[in-house]
Amino acid sequence: MRRKRKDMLANGRRTAPAFLSLLVCAFLLAGCWNAREVNDLAIITATGVDLTEDGQIELSVKIYLTSPSGSGSMSGQPDGNKGTSVVRSVTGINMADAASRLQKKISRKVFWGQADVFLFGERMARAGLEAPMDFLMRHIASRERAHVFVCDGPAKNVLLLSPSIERSVADALVHMAEQQTGLNITMMDLAQMLISKSKAAVLPIVVIREEQGEKQSFPYIQGVSVIKNGKMIGRVNEDVTRGIMWLRNEIKQATVTVSPEQSDGYVSLHLHRSQTRLIPKIEGGRWIMTVRITGQDDIVENTSDLDLSVPDHIGKVEKELEKVVNTRVKMALGQAQKEFKADIFQFADNFYRKYPKIWEANADRWDEIFPEVEVRLETDLRIARPGLIGKNFFRQEQR
Amino acid sequence: MKLSNHLRENLRRLRAVYSDCADVVFHDMVIGGHTPAMLVYIEGLIRLEELDQHVVAPLRDGPGPNPALQDIRNQTTVASVQTCGTIEETVEKISGGNPVLLVEGQNAALVFGLSSWEQRSVEEPTAESVLRGPREGFIETMRTNIAMLRRKIRSPKLKVVTLHIGTCSRTPVAVIYIEGIAQPSLVREIMSRLNRIEIEDVLETSYIEEWIEDNRYSPFPQLLSTERPDVASAYLMEGRVVVMVDGTPTVLIAPTTFFSLLQTPEDYYERYVVGTAIRWLRYFFLAISLLGPSLYVAVVTFHQEMIPTTLMLTMARSREQIPFSALMEAILMETMFEALREAGARLPKQIGSAVSIVGALVIGQAAISAGIVSAPMVMVVAITGIASFMAPRFTIGIPIRLLRFPIMFLAGMMGLLGMILGVIIILNHMLNLRSFGVPYMSPLAPMKNSGLKDVLWRAPRWMLNRRGKR
Repeated sequence: MRRKRKDMLANGRRTAPAFLSLLVCAFLLAGCWNAREVNDLAIITATGVDLTEDGQIELSVKIYLTSPSGSGSMSGQPDGNKGTSVVRSVTGINMADAASRLQKKISRKVFWGQADVFLFGERMARAGLEAPMDFLMRHIASRERAHVFVCDGPAKNVLLLSPSIERSVADALVHMAEQQTGLNITMMDLAQMLISKSKAAVLPIVVIREEQGEKQSFPYIQGVSVIKNGKMIGRVNEDVTRGIMWLRNEIKQATVTVSPEQSDGYVSLHLHRSQTRLIPKIEGGRWIMTVRITGQDDIVENTSDLDLSVPDHIGKVEKELEKVVNTRVKMALGQAQKEFKADIFQFADNFYRKYPKIWEANADRWDEIFPEVEVRLETDLRIARPGLIGKNFFRQEQR
Repeated sequence: MKLSNHLRENLRRLRAVYSDCADVVFHDMVIGGHTPAMLVYIEGLIRLEELDQHVVAPLRDGPGPNPALQDIRNQTTVASVQTCGTIEETVEKISGGNPVLLVEGQNAALVFGLSSWEQRSVEEPTAESVLRGPREGFIETMRTNIAMLRRKIRSPKLKVVTLHIGTCSRTPVAVIYIEGIAQPSLVREIMSRLNRIEIEDVLETSYIEEWIEDNRYSPFPQLLSTERPDVASAYLMEGRVVVMVDGTPTVLIAPTTFFSLLQTPEDYYERYVVGTAIRWLRYFFLAISLLGPSLYVAVVTFHQEMIPTTLMLTMARSREQIPFSALMEAILMETMFEALREAGARLPKQIGSAVSIVGALVIGQAAISAGIVSAPMVMVVAITGIASFMAPRFTIGIPIRLLRFPIMFLAGMMGLLGMILGVIIILNHMLNLRSFGVPYMSPLAPMKNSGLKDVLWRAPRWMLNRRGKR
């Protein structure tokens, strides 16, 4: 017995190096799994999807040029010189087809991992987003956190811009979206909206501001496109957009200017915290949605003759503020319920969560129910900080 | 072999032993004008003046005829006098630097404790300097070193057991522990392992370290070495055992855990908030020094989507003209860095600075301008280099620096997956290690709550029950 063990030990001592070298070989011979060097990649920063006249998909990508062009390349500085990106487009019968054709046109491996911006041309959006969305959500490398926009016109035109402030058009759009002055919808949000009970979604619209000279033109976000059943059915203007954002609890910062009654001049308020809650209720066959908007504001400017150190006056301004917000929200509601009949505020999911059974029974009728949902607004906006001064001392008559 | 009664017989044997030893002095003398005697000593290892004054001079006037050994002994004015009865013992004493007096008609020799040799003064150890705390360090003389410990722990419970290791060098080795704190089984184990050593010479504690550690193939040190008496006494108070070797200022401390290798005396001398913060910083940079380049290689070759977009674009730009893959680049630079560091360490100070200047150029701007390496890589190497200097002890810094390379390979071949694989293998090995029966990763694994307060943070002194900690 003991002898056997000894033999085994001796064997182990002899086989260990062999085993080890085999192990090393296994690693070395297998090569480097899917290794790809940074300088073998074509880094896509923004992607545009358009529909051509003949119903094909035109995929345009903005590729960051990593090779230092011309002189001064050794400085090693990531200089912001323009023309550091190039746009390539291909057409194909669907996204995957176009993507594979794209690879044929580019000497480097197409890398989607850093694509932060996805743009859909207006025609594409109106035709339907189901096809491209399947590819984008299925694809491993594309980011769910990428920002999605609809373009006013072909997406390629936006990609061709190189705004002077940012490194590339992708950066510009990402930063604009993240400021949350307009809607900020990521791929994830869009996917969730599209598969939600309400079957409606919103996407911010990118508009090109044309200036003389290509370098001077820049894109910006204006308005919202309304998407129902995967297809864009219309767009709303800037004021209604704010209303939509209030209802979707997406207002992060806002400056509202009101004109209080019985006073000339304006008071401007900066909202620094707000929350919107949707409280569904079904009462005897009536579908009621209570929208409770709460928030806190600072007064940033007062050109009226109100003395804002007086609590009564503050109350007055608060009332006025609520009125303004209510107006915007009602505008948005009106358009969504009557004009588009698209539940872009995700009312359906709220009803479903609270009344799953009733919802199931009425799921097919939602398109009829939604326009008739009674919305009750409960707006409660408070002024937290009237600022350092009460009256506007600089108006002569107020001294 | 016993000493004989005849001086001439004893001398013949001794001279045979010390043939061709020019430094051994056989000093002929006559005690009290009647008894022939011989004083044997080694030049340079004794206090000659004191020998003259306290042995040679008193004995010249000596005791009466036919003195007993005790009479001769009483005649001298030396505090430390021993007797020995065999040739072997006599030789050992003489070689140890003690003058030995052989007297006609005596079958025993007198050994005078007058050994002394040139020794370095007690200085602050350069490898373990502190901002606050004692500035003394061990020196090459064991006697002085033990005295230093004794001065810090003035208890009779501080036990010092000496033995000689090295069939040729007969180097004195001391095993020091505190009775009642150190576990007797641990002391026994250390003694038995020391007794099993079969080597010819012991020039440094590392000679015996490799003999007595539990896993002889591990890259990790399983014994802590220090040059600081305060560190040694602190560990003695924790129940650990100090092994000291004559001729080297480094002492060994057993058992040792991974986390005690990451501590510095200053963790305890500074306020606990500072101690804790520095400790965390050290842990963090330890991880960096092991994984820094691998992480870079893995992310750059496999996981480009993990890098923030802006950084990614900048990096892509800087890597554009680099002919090598990130892995090659990393290995090139890390090897270069290690070479520079080694070159600098062995050179005299004056030339050392020249090396660092050239090195800064080589792995600095010039390499980037030449298009051989990318700027981010240089940064990663620099950060890793600094991180590796954060290791409080050289012995723990080395394995981590070396293990960096295999992990780099794994990262270059399999990305983060490979990196994690490497870390798992290393952790697995470390969890397997034991130092004199104590798990290497304790008190983290196996988890011991009472010990964690000296690992996860440096608890205030009143919370540290040092005795319970291992």
